[in-house]
Amino acid sequence: MIVQVILVLAALGALVYFVRLAHNVHIRASKRIAFFAFIVANIYAVLRPNDTTWVAQQIGVGRGTDLVLYLLVVAFVFGMLNTYLRQREISNHLTDLARTVALRDAELTNRDRGLLTESLNTEPLNIEPRQ
Amino acid sequence: MANDDTWVIIPVYNEVTVIAQVVADLQAAFRNIVCVDDGSTDGSAAQIATTAAHLVRHPINLGQGAALQTGLCYALARPGGRFFVTFDADGQHRVADADRMVDAARSGFADVVLGSRFLDQDDGQRHRVPLAKRIALGLVVTLSPVARKMHLTDAHNGLRVFNRAVAAQLRIRMNGMAHASELVSLLARSSWTVRELPVTIRYTEYSTSKGQSLINGINILFDLAVRDQR
Repeated sequence: MIVQVILVLAALGALVYFVRLAHNVHIRASKRIAFFAFIVANIYAVLRPNDTTWVAQQIGVGRGTDLVLYLLVVAFVFGMLNTYLRQREISNHLTDLARTVALRDAELTNRDRGLLTESLNTEPLNIEPRQ
Repeated sequence: MANDDTWVIIPVYNEVTVIAQVVADLQAAFRNIVCVDDGSTDGSAAQIATTAAHLVRHPINLGQGAALQTGLCYALARPGGRFFVTFDADGQHRVADADRMVDAARSGFADVVLGSRFLDQDDGQRHRVPLAKRIALGLVVTLSPVARKMHLTDAHNGLRVFNRAVAAQLRIRMNGMAHASELVSLLARSSWTVRELPVTIRYTEYSTSKGQSLINGINILFDLAVRDQR
């Protein structure tokens, strides 16, 4: 069945696309366009169910609802991955922030405890920010 | 003291009952000790404050990998550090092993010295590692192509020594327990010399209850599989 090939390729494409590439402006824009197209397609499918059935039959799925369901699964996985990557990016930022706070704090604490004798480190901390 | 050029980094998470003793033991051989309290909720930080160890506190729990990186950043910012030791807070490592590994690094034996509980001891004795642990850790080494390529026998030993050049370039990005595998693959891609030395792990009831489970191995594999390629 053609539809199986299409859906598997779409799912794999989504995976590679999101895992391999950094999140730049270009990708963000294309994600929004894809989302917009998805919504429009959905509205169309709701209004003209017979048309989706016709499309479904052309590519080897029995009913239009099945086609919509399959596409929904792909879109869901896409969205999940997107959320996961975004969440990980935030947690990376959080780590950098917490580390900076911890190191600044430690300089003061350990100086009070008499463990640090060198002059106060006024240079920027040696932490490379993540992208 | 002989080890004035060495910093010992201990990631601490809820180890209130043992941490003071671990630091006290270490002080016999090392002057510079930094404990990174990873957002403990049991008063570990207060315990550390009673010792002579430097204290760095994460405001929130971030994971062991993050704590190690923070400790490295702190120690690197102090002048005079040439060797950096990572040491577990639960008392499973022996100070004598750490001392021996630093001596080895200082003699130019390797840029990175890793502890291995599976190598034969000098006296020819293989010490006892619980069976479940042996299987789990054996699996990690077998599944990790880089660990095999580097002929490492124990990819998840918390006792390691880095010289300054290596420590300054380490960027541990895996906050959780996957940092051990991350380190191995990082070292494999580098040009640094990496050698293992046999160490003894004290499997006390306490350290066993806190150790890695086979289940967590699945989490580690997932973290590594989806990490970013940057």
